[in-house]
Amino acid sequence: MKFNKLFFTLFVAAMLVLAACGGNGDDAESGVNEDGEVEQISVFQSKVEISEPLEELAEMYEEETGIEVDVWGTTGDDYLSQLQVRLNSNQGPSIMTVQNIQVADQLDSYLYDLSDMSLADDVAPEMGLEYEDRLVGLPYGIEGFGLVYNKDLVDPEDITDYESFVQALQDFEEEGINGLTLSQEAYFLIGHISNYPFSLQDDYMGFIDQLNDGEVAMSETPEFQEFGQFMEAIREHTVNPLDVNYDRQVGDFVNGETAMIHQGNWVVSMLNDYDLDFEVGLMPFPLDGNDKQIVGVGGNWGVNANKEQAEIDAAKDFLEWLHNSDVGQEYMVDEFNHVPGFTHIDADGLDPLAQEVLDASNSGDTIPWAHNYYPADIVPNDLAPATEEFFLDDSMTGEEFIERLDEVWEGATR
Amino acid sequence: MSKHRNKLWYLVFVLPLFIIFATVVLIPFVIGIFYSFFEWDGFSANPMVYVGLDNYIELIDDGRFVNSAWLTLEFTILSLVLVNVLGLGFALLVTSAFKSANFARTMFFMPNLIGGLILGYIWQFIFSDGFRIIGDLTGNEEVFRNWLTDRDLAMYALVIVFSWQMAGYMMIIYIAGIQSIPGEVMEAAEIDGANYWQRLKNIVMPLLMPALTISLFLTLSFSFKIYDVNLSLTSGGPANSTELLAMHIYNEIFGYNNYGYGQAKAIIFFIVIAAITLVQVYMTKKREVEM
Amino acid sequence: MRLFKKYLKEILLVVGALVFLSPVYIMLVNSFKSRSELYENVLALPETLTFEHYIRAMDRMNFGLAFFNSLVITIISVVIIVILSSMTAWMLVRKDNTLSRIIFMTFIATMLIPFQTIMMPLIQFMDQIMSTTGLPMLNTRSGLIFMHVGFNASLAVFLYHGFIKSIPVSLEESAEIDGANKFTVFWKIIFPILKPITVTVIILNVIQIWNDYLLPSLVLTDQSLRTIPLATFYFFGEFTIQWNQAMAGLVLTIIPVVIFYVFAQKHIIRGIGEGAVK
Repeated sequence: MKFNKLFFTLFVAAMLVLAACGGNGDDAESGVNEDGEVEQISVFQSKVEISEPLEELAEMYEEETGIEVDVWGTTGDDYLSQLQVRLNSNQGPSIMTVQNIQVADQLDSYLYDLSDMSLADDVAPEMGLEYEDRLVGLPYGIEGFGLVYNKDLVDPEDITDYESFVQALQDFEEEGINGLTLSQEAYFLIGHISNYPFSLQDDYMGFIDQLNDGEVAMSETPEFQEFGQFMEAIREHTVNPLDVNYDRQVGDFVNGETAMIHQGNWVVSMLNDYDLDFEVGLMPFPLDGNDKQIVGVGGNWGVNANKEQAEIDAAKDFLEWLHNSDVGQEYMVDEFNHVPGFTHIDADGLDPLAQEVLDASNSGDTIPWAHNYYPADIVPNDLAPATEEFFLDDSMTGEEFIERLDEVWEGATR
Repeated sequence: MSKHRNKLWYLVFVLPLFIIFATVVLIPFVIGIFYSFFEWDGFSANPMVYVGLDNYIELIDDGRFVNSAWLTLEFTILSLVLVNVLGLGFALLVTSAFKSANFARTMFFMPNLIGGLILGYIWQFIFSDGFRIIGDLTGNEEVFRNWLTDRDLAMYALVIVFSWQMAGYMMIIYIAGIQSIPGEVMEAAEIDGANYWQRLKNIVMPLLMPALTISLFLTLSFSFKIYDVNLSLTSGGPANSTELLAMHIYNEIFGYNNYGYGQAKAIIFFIVIAAITLVQVYMTKKREVEM
Repeated sequence: MRLFKKYLKEILLVVGALVFLSPVYIMLVNSFKSRSELYENVLALPETLTFEHYIRAMDRMNFGLAFFNSLVITIISVVIIVILSSMTAWMLVRKDNTLSRIIFMTFIATMLIPFQTIMMPLIQFMDQIMSTTGLPMLNTRSGLIFMHVGFNASLAVFLYHGFIKSIPVSLEESAEIDGANKFTVFWKIIFPILKPITVTVIILNVIQIWNDYLLPSLVLTDQSLRTIPLATFYFFGEFTIQWNQAMAGLVLTIIPVVIFYVFAQKHIIRGIGEGAVK
């Protein structure tokens, strides 16, 4: 039987290859050799955009110090569940991304206190990730979001509060231009824009704690009531965000069909793929007359405390090198495109949106990101579906929308 | 003596695969059952509290879980019909004496290879822009609008994309079934003057029952477990109207970090679909014709 | 008239197949476009036929190495699955006792478990095996192959089981009387008869294993071990997806499988011409 023969040849060949490569890929459990010297550390991080420059840096670091830095990767979506699986099976990395304080709360026992690092003193004010008096994360960089606008079409002086915001949307509508576009992805639909009524509270963390405990309601808080009106105006005067994905949102903006989009300074990497023929700016969202930029940290470097001390020290050394060496700093600004969250790193030649974020951050006149303190994953799991209901059902008022948010918030924190 | 030898042969043939299978599938599944009796956030450094059957009792009143279960059932029934009608149809077409059969066979099979976020992106485009264009052209805007932003239609969109993907897969199994029908039987029927439909109804279909059992079971199991297409096409939206069970459980485990509760849902889900599937297999098996 | 009808049917079949394939067309044309071109018109043919995105994608994926990894892992897994599953299924059919039925039902029932619900205990258990026995289960190709075999065994046993039942026992019995042992009987007599279903099993498993993302992403961490689907992660950023490179990457991923399928289908299809459905 010819087929049979072929099959067995294939089998023998396969077994030979298997035997040849069986020993490949030594265990990732520990990078420490028998003499207690560190040979290898690993980095698992969530920001795919910086994977390649980080791999290049890792190679340079190995040439300089002889320590191998293994950079792992996965798509942006499933980072956290993958990290969870790995930590639980003793396969955790030496360095990992800790997105925010909610994640720090879950990962608590895995997070090493970084406050004795020399780098800790250089973290920009309020930008270090602290959990129970420990410094558990060093900022990737500072980011900001708000109304990204076309300078040919919009003068930020004209949009300062609810009335002028609605007026602007109406004017654009008459001209046949779309005033503002959100997009269908959970964070772009509601995650980011829902920050403002929280961030404008005197103590947003306290407010969220009380909300989780059912002591306050969004629907009884003035900022949220106005936020409901804003969302109603957006639904009435602009395209349905559920029909728009991020690509289309940015494409329509570049084309001049949309005057403003609610986005962050990260949108620049997308804008760079087009020939932009106008200038862009970033202005604060005018809820309750707000004129402050909202800035925060999109991710933090944390060190895995469940490793041998030698490996922890090696991980810290790598982070120091990443932020203190010339090449590391250069990469952070030029390749990662991060606005440094450290006072000792100069950021020259930033793009205009990043520059606006940096200026705001330096002036100190900002409001904080509240969504980092939301219950974990509430944005995609609860807030986004509720917002989809709102955009599908024109009879739902802004007030009812906020009541609905109260309901789903309660459901998520039961 | 010979009895011992037979037992030994049994072990030699069955044991290696069963050990691998048990290590990879069975034991982790049993560990999962164990977790379902605990309240735990899924991080091994954090406390696990034994709660007995509480997780199981709690999920009876979990509206979102029950709703998701009904959606999954609806999805499965619709897909079961569409996938198998298409798959069998394709198989009959491409095994006929068409010149382009080879070409068509490859084409029908291709969708199976496109997965992940790309699949979602392409079909989102078809349902939003593509349908809008067709709607403008035909004036039938009631039907041709963006299905993905409609709570009822989004489910049908999901069924269409899943069927598009799976039909070629089932086609392969039906082809294998058709091929195992002995040529003499068909020739004899043809000589007896049976036309195409008579042959199909009286000979092909009864002899295809084993293939049908397999295909129905596989479609059932794939559509109950559907996750990738769900995630990339609708992510459960709009407004949770397409959050099917695998996704719902994934969100419970990794989104809300209720590991034990999520596992309890997974176990109940497993028991229910296992029961349904057993009934299905039993029913179609009875109709198989032994050759 | 008959001839015309025949050609009409042919044309309808081709047109139907092409309509069915329109999403593949979208994937193909957009792998050649820039982001702004893609925004302008998703359906249009690309303005210039440049392979720049393919070259860039191959470079970023480290395509040669990823291809080698995928190839080794897929071939070895599928070969093992075919050998072990066919043997198991045959024995389960021929020794039709309670034990066999329980084993068979266990194989079948577990096909209903969504992978996402057991992935965490799976990796935990693999780590335990690794630390107690020293077997390299995680972050090695052989460990991944082991798991692929375990996860795909059910489907293969199921398919073989159904097919073997329709083979008459008489063939084997006469051979056994001649003194052949079970092993010889199986490989000399049974396995050759199983060829059509073996090709089916091979095709279905090749697709599954070649395209799998989640399991390899959990098992393999080392950059040098990445399979093709793992290597495409670079294009799926936190906020931005580079569609053109992602689609080019996907085209590169599926071309080998399509070639394989075109080659393999000859083996399932042969014999039909001998008179099945004319």
